[in-house]
Amino acid sequence: MSTQYNIPVGAQHISLLEPLHFKFTTENEKIIKTEANVGYVHRGIEQACCSKFKFRQVSFVVGRVCGLCSISHTTCYSQVAEKLLKLDIPKRAKYLRMLVIELDRIHSHLLCLSHVAENSGFEALFMKTMRHREFSMELLEAVCGNRIQYDFSIIGGVARDLRTDVAQSILDKFKIFRPQLDELVDIYKTNWSLSLKNKGIGVLSKEDAIRLNVVGPFARASGLGVDVRNETEELLPWKEVGFEIITDTAGDVHARNMVRLKEIYVSMKIIENIINGLPEGDLISDTKAFPEGEAVNRIEAPRGELFYYAKGNKTQVLERLKIKAPTFSNIPAMVETFTNNEYASVPAIIGSYDPCLSCTSR
Amino acid sequence: MQVYLPLSVLMIRACHALQDKFQIEIMKTFFKTIGNLFKKPATIPFPAAPTYKPDDYRGLIVFDESLCIWCRRCETVCPPGAIVFSQNITDGKQTYHYSPYVCIYCQECVRTCPKQGCLIQSAEPGHPATKEHDVNNVWNKLFADSLESRVTYAAEKKKQQAAAKANPQS
Ligand code: SF4
Ligand code: SF4
Repeated sequence: MSTQYNIPVGAQHISLLEPLHFKFTTENEKIIKTEANVGYVHRGIEQACCSKFKFRQVSFVVGRVCGLCSISHTTCYSQVAEKLLKLDIPKRAKYLRMLVIELDRIHSHLLCLSHVAENSGFEALFMKTMRHREFSMELLEAVCGNRIQYDFSIIGGVARDLRTDVAQSILDKFKIFRPQLDELVDIYKTNWSLSLKNKGIGVLSKEDAIRLNVVGPFARASGLGVDVRNETEELLPWKEVGFEIITDTAGDVHARNMVRLKEIYVSMKIIENIINGLPEGDLISDTKAFPEGEAVNRIEAPRGELFYYAKGNKTQVLERLKIKAPTFSNIPAMVETFTNNEYASVPAIIGSYDPCLSCTSR
Repeated sequence: MQVYLPLSVLMIRACHALQDKFQIEIMKTFFKTIGNLFKKPATIPFPAAPTYKPDDYRGLIVFDESLCIWCRRCETVCPPGAIVFSQNITDGKQTYHYSPYVCIYCQECVRTCPKQGCLIQSAEPGHPATKEHDVNNVWNKLFADSLESRVTYAAEKKKQQAAAKANPQS
């Protein structure tokens, strides 16, 4: 047996966006075992939501769980609270929620792709992707009024309407963005030096994906077709606006890139359909009721299935709120996927997981 | 020998062709790079030039005292506690306090206010706080003092009422 080395990566490391700690056991250059520690950004948000804040204020608190998928958190909480209040929301509000969720997915996927490129050592592609991503941030700012913490979904509906000139600017900017995205797809798909760091690296088989209960683009790249948008039409009519599931079979970093890129096309199609078929009506339906009983809700965040559980006791303050973020579900698979890869591939693999630790440990 | 000779010729030819192709690629990249030098930069020279800001940006909250009915609903709904009303102990007049540094621009107060136009959200972005502002300590003290002033006023009023009840002549 050759000598084994333990190499710690994190909690602060150049290839990590967020505090995450891995301990790799390597033999020569090969990783044979990994341990992970994810609890570095615990902020006690769940406890705050059940003690300090009233249930209507909680949707603004959970929006601050994550900077990237803020809208997924607020929408998921709003929906779970609407279940407790037995409140039905207007159709226009549902469409606008879907619109912002998909815009958010575009910017989040492009961010992830750029970091895979950066962590693979392709700095120029990182800059190119980030440059093309900027339009989605501007659109989000135009639609929501805020660039990062959108505060767009509130209990009962949405906070702002979509102005017609903003809707038109979305369609116009998509026309500019589509050829840029085609170019990005071409680079991510065919670039030879990138393929050395991405193809066949960090492979997760479909069997393992099922066994380890993986969610999001990570699972879909392994051929496991899990997507909340595909499973339930209960609260948001995804099929109506043209959702289709994207999967790949290879399960490596390259396949994850491809799934994310293709999902951006789907998101753009959904947004165009929403704008062209936006129903008229109110933005918000109001109620004086207090949350009562228990409810769960799921939503497809950019990183996978986001799960909320809430329990109300007919008072202003919730009795319990539980958040399960997509990255939390993916940790077992993240740890296993490193095995038998070269240590030098670690940054690219971590990038391709798209881990969000501030969601995970809250 | 007869077999190897044409094969090697073929290989050399293939190498040349590949070399040509590479050279063309390299030249293409070279000209592209030169071309990029003359393109406009993708970045904005902030703060010399302004960044994108929509005209209905969610900015600071503006209060119009003349319309307020002092119902304090905005204070109740504000998630971070950026609005508080203090009360004058002698005449019971309320004063509105707002911290632009604590506000998260969520618009809840504007939505809740029963008097239209009393609270409006301007498009002016919040300014970053500096050390001199000592935001947390100053605001937390003001918040606590304001709540206390209301409690004191309520207690004072109760006492007066009780006194008035005890001897109705005076
Ligand atoms: S905008 Fe939100 S945070 Fe700011 S004062 Fe109004 S309710 Fe409070
Ligand atoms: S909700 Fe409006 S009317 Fe009531 S106290 Fe606040 S600003 Fe005044």
